[in-house]
Amino acid sequence: MITIAISKGRMQDDAIALLAEAGVRLSAAALASRKLALEDESGNYRFIFVKPADVPVYVEHGIADCGIVGRDVLLESAADVLLPLDLGIARCRLVVAAIDPKVITRAFGMLRVATKYSRIAGSHFGTRGIPVEIISLSGSVELAPALGLSDAIVDLVETGRTLQENGLKVVEIITESTGRLVVNRASYQLKSDEIGQLTDALERVIQGVNAK
Amino acid sequence: MLLSKLPSGMRYYLGAEARLRRSVEDTAMSVFEGWSYEEVLTPSVDYYALFEQGMGVTEAQSSFRLTDSDGRMLSLRPDVTSSVARVAATLLAESKRPLRLCYAAPVFRQQQQSHAEWRRENTQLGCELIGVGGSATDLEVLLLAAEILQRIGLGESFCVTINDVGIFNGLVGELNLDDTSREHLRRLIDTRDNTELGNTLKQLSITASTRQSIASLTQLTGKRDVLERAQAVIANKDSLAAVSKLVDLWNVIESLGLEKAFEVDLADVSSLDYYTGLSFKVYVRGVGYRVGRGGRYDGLTANFGRAEPAIGFVLNLDSLVEVLGRTNASNGTNGNDVQTIATSELTNTFAEALGRRRKNEKIRIGSNE
Repeated sequence: MITIAISKGRMQDDAIALLAEAGVRLSAAALASRKLALEDESGNYRFIFVKPADVPVYVEHGIADCGIVGRDVLLESAADVLLPLDLGIARCRLVVAAIDPKVITRAFGMLRVATKYSRIAGSHFGTRGIPVEIISLSGSVELAPALGLSDAIVDLVETGRTLQENGLKVVEIITESTGRLVVNRASYQLKSDEIGQLTDALERVIQGVNAK
Repeated sequence: MLLSKLPSGMRYYLGAEARLRRSVEDTAMSVFEGWSYEEVLTPSVDYYALFEQGMGVTEAQSSFRLTDSDGRMLSLRPDVTSSVARVAATLLAESKRPLRLCYAAPVFRQQQQSHAEWRRENTQLGCELIGVGGSATDLEVLLLAAEILQRIGLGESFCVTINDVGIFNGLVGELNLDDTSREHLRRLIDTRDNTELGNTLKQLSITASTRQSIASLTQLTGKRDVLERAQAVIANKDSLAAVSKLVDLWNVIESLGLEKAFEVDLADVSSLDYYTGLSFKVYVRGVGYRVGRGGRYDGLTANFGRAEPAIGFVLNLDSLVEVLGRTNASNGTNGNDVQTIATSELTNTFAEALGRRRKNEKIRIGSNE
C-alpha cells in the first residue's frame, strides 16, 4: 500500500483528477465523504488530505510515501524529500509586489516585507544584499502595504487580480511554482516498484497533456 | 526556568527500550569483533578544527561549540571518524596495516526542529578499515554492515544502496563549473528534481550526450540492469571506470546470493567532498530517512599528515532501536526468576542477598510493608 498526501485547497481537485487519469481512482462515495484518509478503488493506495505545509512533513517522516504539493511550499519548508516529477498543475508565480515598485531600490535602510514565505523572502533579498525585516503573516498578505504594515510583500500570484484590487504591482518574479510529486527517500528505495509504477503512470498522463 | 523540560532533540531511554538498545549495540559490537575490529574510544570533546578538517566545514558547523580556557574553539564530537583518522595517522602511525577499528559512541549535532531527523544526540555504531584499499575492503565493510542489520532482526526489511562518487565527479568534472554551480547540480540530482535539472542543464553549453548522461543519473536506481544502462548512456572515461568497479562489486554480491539486500543508486550524490570512491546508504522499512551511511575516503587521513586508503560506515543506533521497538514489542522482560528478599534484620537480609548473588541469582531487596 502506498500512502499519498494531498494538499487540501487550491490544488486538491487537479491532483485528484490527475491521479484518476493515471488509474488511481477514488469512488464517488469516497469523494463525497468528509474523511481525511481514504482508500482508492483498487485498495493499493491510501489518500490523506492535509494542509499544504504539512505535506512535506508527512513525506519527510515517511508517514506518507509520496505527496502532491506546490513548489512554493517545498521551497519554504526545506524538507528533505525527493521531487521527481513536475505535475504541471496549479501553475502560479511567487512574486515581490509593492504599491510603488521603486520602493525596493529606494529603501536602502530597511525594507519591510510581509509574507507567508519568510524563508523564501529572506533568502531572495539576502542573495541581493538588500536588508529586510520579514513580517510573517498567515493570510491576507495583500493588505499589509495598504495599511502601512510593510513596504512590500512576497506572495503567490495566480491571475494577479487580488494584487490589482489591493493596489499592488509586481516588482519581480522570484520563481514559478507548480504542483510536484514528492517522494520519501526511504520509500523510493524500499517500495521502488510501486513508486515507479505511480510515477510512470503520472508521467504518461502529463506527456499526453503536453502533447495536446 | 522549567526544570522538567528537556532540550529539544534529547530523550530518555527507559525499561524495555533501554534493554533493547543495549542488546542491539552488543550485537553490532560482537559482529565487529567477529570480523577482527578493535574497539576504540575517542574523546567526547575535541578541537573544532579537527572536525572542520575531518568532516568539511558545512557538516562541522552543525556541532555544539564551546570555548577552551585558552580561547580555542572546542566541540562536542559531531562524528567519530575524524578522531579515528587522527589517531590512525598519529598514535597508530607505525602500527601494522590494515587497521580495523570500531566504536559505539554518541555524537551531537544541531538539528532543525520538526524534521524527520530530530535527534541532537545519536549513538553511532561504526567502523573504519584503514591502510589497505581495493575491492576486497569495499566488500568487507558492505557485508559487515549487512550482517549487523540481519543479526539485529531486520531480516529483509533493509536495503543498502551503493554508488561510486567517481561517476558524478567524472561527468561534472568535464564541465569546469564553479563550486556554486556544481553544488546546485549535485543538489538537484540528490533530490531527483528532474524538472529543475533539465532546466539547469539546458542553460549550460554542453554536448547533448553529456547532458543526457547527467540527466540519466536520477533514473539509474535498481539492480544489475541499472549498471548496464549506465554503461550505455555514459561516455566519460573516469565515470565508466567507476561504473565498472560497481559492476565488479555487484557480480560478487550476486554470486553470494545477497542481491536482495543491495541496490545500485547512481543518484546518491550526498557528501561528495568526503567520499572518494564507493559510497553507500542504509534504508530500513519504517524509517523515513537514511539510518546509515558509509564509503571510501582516501583523502581523510592525509589531513593528519599520512595519506592512506580508508573505508568505513556508521549506523544510527537510535533509529534502529526505534524501528525494532515498534516491530517486536516483546523484547524480554526484566522480571523473570527474581528472588525477592524481605528486609527483616539487616545482617541476615544482606547475608542472604550476597549468598544468592555469589550463585549469580537475580535478586530484589523487598521492603517490610
